[in-house]
Amino acid sequence: MSETRTDSAQTAAAGIDYRRRQRLSRLAQKLVIFLCSVVLAFYVLAPISWLVSSAFQTEAEIVSVPPHWIPENPTVKNFTAIFGATEDEEITYETRSGVDPAAGGFIPSTAKDLPKAMWNSILVATLVVILNLLVGVPAAYAIAKIRYWGRNGSVYFILTTRVIPDIALVVPFFLVIRKLGLLDTISSLVITYLAVTVPFTVFILMQYFEGLPDELDKAARVDGCSRFQALIRVFLPLSMPSIVAVVLFTFLTSWNEFLLALMFTQTSASQTLPILLAAFTSDFTVSFSFLNAAGVLAIVPPVIVAIIFERYIVSGLTAGAVKG
Amino acid sequence: MSDIATYSGRRSLRNRFGYEERSAIFFLAPVMAVLMSVAVFPILYSLYLSFFQIKLTRPNRTPFVWFQNYTDLFTNELFWTSVRRTVVFSIVSVVAIAMIALLVSLLLNQNFRGRRVLSTILLVPWAIPYVANALMWKWIYDSGYGALNGLLYQLGFIEDYVIWLGDQDKTLLLIANAFVWKEVPLATILLLVTLKSIPADLYQAARVDGASVWQRFVHITLPSMKPGFMLVMIYETMMAIRHFDLFFILTEGGPGHASHVLSWHIYVETFRNLSFGSGAAMSYVLALVTFALSYLFIRTLGRKV
Amino acid sequence: MARIRFENVNKKYANGFHAVKDLNLDIQDEEFVVLLGPSGCGKSTTLNMIAGLEEVTDGALIFDDQMVNYMPPHRRDVAMVFQSYALYPHKTIFDNIAFGLQMRKQSKEEIERRVRNAARRLEIEHMLDRRPGQLSGGQRQRVALGRAMVRDPAVFLMDEPLSNLDAALRVSMRAEIKELHQEMQTTFVYVTHDQAEALTLADRIVVMSDGIVQQVGTPDEIYEHPANTFVASFLGSPPMNYIDGEIEIEGEDRALFRHDSVTLRLPENLSRKLNTDSGHRVRLGIRAEDVDEKGEVVEGQIIRGTVNSVLPVGSDQFLGMAFGDDELFFRVGKDLRHKTGENVTLAVDVSRLHFFDAATGKSLVA
Repeated sequence: MSETRTDSAQTAAAGIDYRRRQRLSRLAQKLVIFLCSVVLAFYVLAPISWLVSSAFQTEAEIVSVPPHWIPENPTVKNFTAIFGATEDEEITYETRSGVDPAAGGFIPSTAKDLPKAMWNSILVATLVVILNLLVGVPAAYAIAKIRYWGRNGSVYFILTTRVIPDIALVVPFFLVIRKLGLLDTISSLVITYLAVTVPFTVFILMQYFEGLPDELDKAARVDGCSRFQALIRVFLPLSMPSIVAVVLFTFLTSWNEFLLALMFTQTSASQTLPILLAAFTSDFTVSFSFLNAAGVLAIVPPVIVAIIFERYIVSGLTAGAVKG
Repeated sequence: MSDIATYSGRRSLRNRFGYEERSAIFFLAPVMAVLMSVAVFPILYSLYLSFFQIKLTRPNRTPFVWFQNYTDLFTNELFWTSVRRTVVFSIVSVVAIAMIALLVSLLLNQNFRGRRVLSTILLVPWAIPYVANALMWKWIYDSGYGALNGLLYQLGFIEDYVIWLGDQDKTLLLIANAFVWKEVPLATILLLVTLKSIPADLYQAARVDGASVWQRFVHITLPSMKPGFMLVMIYETMMAIRHFDLFFILTEGGPGHASHVLSWHIYVETFRNLSFGSGAAMSYVLALVTFALSYLFIRTLGRKV
Repeated sequence: MARIRFENVNKKYANGFHAVKDLNLDIQDEEFVVLLGPSGCGKSTTLNMIAGLEEVTDGALIFDDQMVNYMPPHRRDVAMVFQSYALYPHKTIFDNIAFGLQMRKQSKEEIERRVRNAARRLEIEHMLDRRPGQLSGGQRQRVALGRAMVRDPAVFLMDEPLSNLDAALRVSMRAEIKELHQEMQTTFVYVTHDQAEALTLADRIVVMSDGIVQQVGTPDEIYEHPANTFVASFLGSPPMNYIDGEIEIEGEDRALFRHDSVTLRLPENLSRKLNTDSGHRVRLGIRAEDVDEKGEVVEGQIIRGTVNSVLPVGSDQFLGMAFGDDELFFRVGKDLRHKTGENVTLAVDVSRLHFFDAATGKSLVA
């Protein structure tokens, strides 16, 4: 009797012990996850925060040693220089610096070109998006749902064009575009950006269309749709998630593109935001805080887009990279 | 009745291509036209150009030189330097990206509060333009007022501010760091997909068999992630060997030739020396390397046909 | 209102797969034809060719008097019901049903009238504003039927329409489809791998295997006089039992089937219809239900064996009987309880025996 009692007591004690150990290990796991999360968040956000913080510092503050992590006298001077440039506030050689001109720290006179560059970026990106959808949607539908001769060939062809490095296209593009007299125009960018966006567009849409059941396509066609009508009336309304993903990718790729724009743009007529930013960075006299403000402006639109449409982006990226 | 009478088992001309084929042609014509003119034609034109000596400084003398532009590369010291720099940059970056992305994807594969927020935050580096990324890191690395110096100084790691990008030994690594920071999110997303595709009963079975957390990781997680890893490695290698933006803004190939990578070399040769023929030849070499990699890439993506 | 004819039709896919081989078939107007066979036999491909969803590689497909080989589906007057229902997820039930009419440019009033009628007929009127996602499988299949019905098509095609439903619903929908055919008075072509569906629904059944038509006939013909062992095995449950043996002709209308452990005497009319010589290797087929454990024991009309397994199936029980190296399955009543290891003697209904050539599998009964 007594033996059994001690036995059960021991088991109970062991149970408690086991439960406590489990609770401890779960706590430890939570702690590890928390610490890792903090490190990750810091790794991602610290550089950005520093950029944003510097954009709101005055020239006097930004050159302090050690740096002020949080601006003590936040200013929006850099942004008004870009957007608010009224007649009397216009930046001239004399007024462009708040401090001693010898120390540098200028706001460049091209600051007012920045809105124009943003506009160019938006215009190029929008046109590229529209063209991508126009050529990409029908092609993706055909590859996904029509059993035509040479279908695999066209898939391989598009996959192959997707991996051509942009730098390998620069020389031929430059010569052709110069010959066509399109240097320093928006259209030169729109045309060349198609090379780096269309294959990806077709790929993502194709994956999505393949995921929609074949029987839906058959039902539509038996119901009286031509191929074109089946695409427009049945598949297009159903493929909005992938269309959104394509619009986002194409837009971001165009907005961020640098190399091709560097080759083909010369003046504010066609310069996009990245080009203007790069020009600022190579000018040693430009104020750091102004530079950072310009950087912030280039970052804000894509970041907002990415955060709002996170779901679509992630699904699109995975579809684009992995065969679903 | 007449229709049957005339039926002879052969297709009329109109029907040589059936309705399906005709629709396919109609749907694919635009994309083919676009890709032919912005991808296939330029790459072929580039091959053609690479056989000529084209200097924009002498527009009227463009002799056909066969493979001279290519053979010249072998004796060009700077070209080989740039190849070496590119290889170092790519290896360092890709290994770092794969390692960090592995850790991050394992973290984000856990269920915990704030996971959604964290994965949204992670998209930020992916979304921002490379130029802005370059500008940001240039400012962080700044020798006079940059954050890196400030932080290390405040923490007591350094006595004096360091001219980071001026140090030949560190430049390539610092640029790689900026590259890694921006590429980790994409790699993480790709790895997360493979992680999520590992069936849960595999882990349960291993648990029943008494495998520890570490054993489960080594015997189930890692092997299952192999295809994802392959994908990330190949894709990121392709991105790394062609990368240009960071080098243009952060160092312009300097100091000395410490960050003189292939893409920068091509740019200098083409647009500073205005030597289009040899520029085309070099970019063609780069394209061929990428094609070789992409063959692996496509094979890995493997459409089962 | 269409007669459908296949003349030497072949279908080869791009990957070289020969899905349908030399198909000759004449489907009469207003007939209910069921294409029956295992998966991959070419029955769905045949249906898709009628719909125009697959192109005919070779041969002629004729609707009434018109060759339609190259006519795309939207120009053919066909409607189709799919196994997965294939409703448009983004459209309401009303729009799902109306879509085919809209594509054919019917007037709004006409569409409204016909959709309402079909919905009333199928008792789905109250869900016209919902979307497919909110419906059960059975309801979705009704909508799919409605979508095909409103069109009042010349040909009504169904591709395994009941396979995704549960057993009870399947039986009731079967009856409903039969009714629908009588009301609509149009040509129905129905694809299934389920023999019960085929036997209940069809005016004629087309049994297919490996892209080749094995037999065309009424359900009775197919079941009672299977043209070959494939057809014989495919219909009936449990499947037909086979015993390989020899035929011995004793006279004009006297024949014996001989096997090491069983000898059966054929009745006169069957002997007369048997197309074979004495000594020919044949395969005897006995349907599971063509035995009687309580029947009269007459030499030459019985089969003996040891019970191997007993499987009760509600109304009846299946007896597994060891026979040489094989096991034969018979369906018997369940009032006699059998035990494994027990010896049984079963009376065979010799008038319902089937004989096939042992080498070719073709029926030897004229």
